[in-house]
Amino acid sequence: MDTRFVTMLRPFLKYAGANEITLDSSLRDLGLDSMQAVELLFAIEDTYQVSLPDELLTDTTFATAGNLWAAIESSGVGAEAGAKLC
Amino acid sequence: MTAISDPSPAVTDFRRALVDALDTVGDATGRELWCALGRGGVLAAHTAGEDPRADRLRALLTELDARYPLGVVLSVCVQVATALPILLHGPASEHVAGVGAAALRGEAMLALAATDSAASGSDLMDLGTTAVLGEDTVVLDGGKRWITNAGTADHLLVLARHRPQRHFTSFLWVLVPADAPGLTVEPADGSMFAGSGVGHLSFDAVTLGRDHLVGAPGRGLATFSRHIATERLAGGLWAGAMCRRVLTDTRRALADKPLHGATAWDNDAVRQRFARCLVESRRIDALCADVCGGSGGLVDSMVLKASVADSLDRVLGECVQLIGADAFGAGGVARLRAEAAMFGVAGGATGAMLAGVADHADDLLGGPR
Repeated sequence: MDTRFVTMLRPFLKYAGANEITLDSSLRDLGLDSMQAVELLFAIEDTYQVSLPDELLTDTTFATAGNLWAAIESSGVGAEAGAKLC
Repeated sequence: MTAISDPSPAVTDFRRALVDALDTVGDATGRELWCALGRGGVLAAHTAGEDPRADRLRALLTELDARYPLGVVLSVCVQVATALPILLHGPASEHVAGVGAAALRGEAMLALAATDSAASGSDLMDLGTTAVLGEDTVVLDGGKRWITNAGTADHLLVLARHRPQRHFTSFLWVLVPADAPGLTVEPADGSMFAGSGVGHLSFDAVTLGRDHLVGAPGRGLATFSRHIATERLAGGLWAGAMCRRVLTDTRRALADKPLHGATAWDNDAVRQRFARCLVESRRIDALCADVCGGSGGLVDSMVLKASVADSLDRVLGECVQLIGADAFGAGGVARLRAEAAMFGVAGGATGAMLAGVADHADDLLGGPR
């Protein structure tokens, strides 16, 4: 995942503490409620200047960090972010 | 949202166009007022650009509050602050774009139908109005209640769920014509909010083409959230204008009211109570400025909404006490206070705002989340 993505994600996860956020991390278990997820969507779209595809606007996309990152990559930021993989 | 500032030439021009438009109608229904604002170019000027300036919104609501009863102002406020921005947000079908253009010309009135019959008004996640998407159609079933302009709008912007999951991606907006088969409108009972067209809606297999969708399925709540800060700011700006108007009238009444050989305004206790109202009024203004200039977005707007409801009720309640029996006359402050209690309910109850504020306690305290 892009380090910028993890940095952006962490403030929304009140139970994450200093623990590592992995692809399998459950965003809900780490404290992301649905209304905060709206704010996370705004943060993603503002930060990466992308619009998540309509077909990926589902609860599954916001279930794990990996799912969300995959959705962002599918929006066309993968190539740019490739140099920053962590 | 840009900051409130000294009137720029553009705002001065806006205010002039606004006053000219309002002078053409005098006493008016919500529809007559909406037509006049559209015909006079006020609605188009207000929404020009992506970010309507706060000082234009303040000018509009201050002028409307000075001239019209609460229900009529509410009818315009809901359209300007929320319905129009959602309708004009992003790509639109030819049908939706046409309705948006007609609304800007004042030729089409809008209602925003979010509060659901199946859930608490502040709990959008549990709303029960469903939208079943077909290849070419969308079918609505369910109900909405306490909807401003329900009985007067030409088009109703309806928030519905197209998926059962309790997640923000489960919602969409549908633009429903007021004459759509299967739509029933029932006026709200009671005598409050005259001129607002408030009522309840029922959808029984209302079937429309997919060109009636506003925005993409799944983006309903996100789009609403994008504009909710503007709606809450509008509430704050309107409440601030209301406070200044009522306090000006109350100050005048106190100066004319005999008390112990002088006037009520000369009494120290009365002056202190009035001063407390001024402080509350300025608190509303300060929080509006905070929302305009801040970067907190939704959090700041929740703080604003919760505070505005409390401050406005305190100001109007104190003015009722200071004015005395005359406050209960026709058009008096007592009636206004009863209707203004909606500031603590409509668009998200104070309790829901405070719950959201608590969720962001660490942010507001300046520490880590």
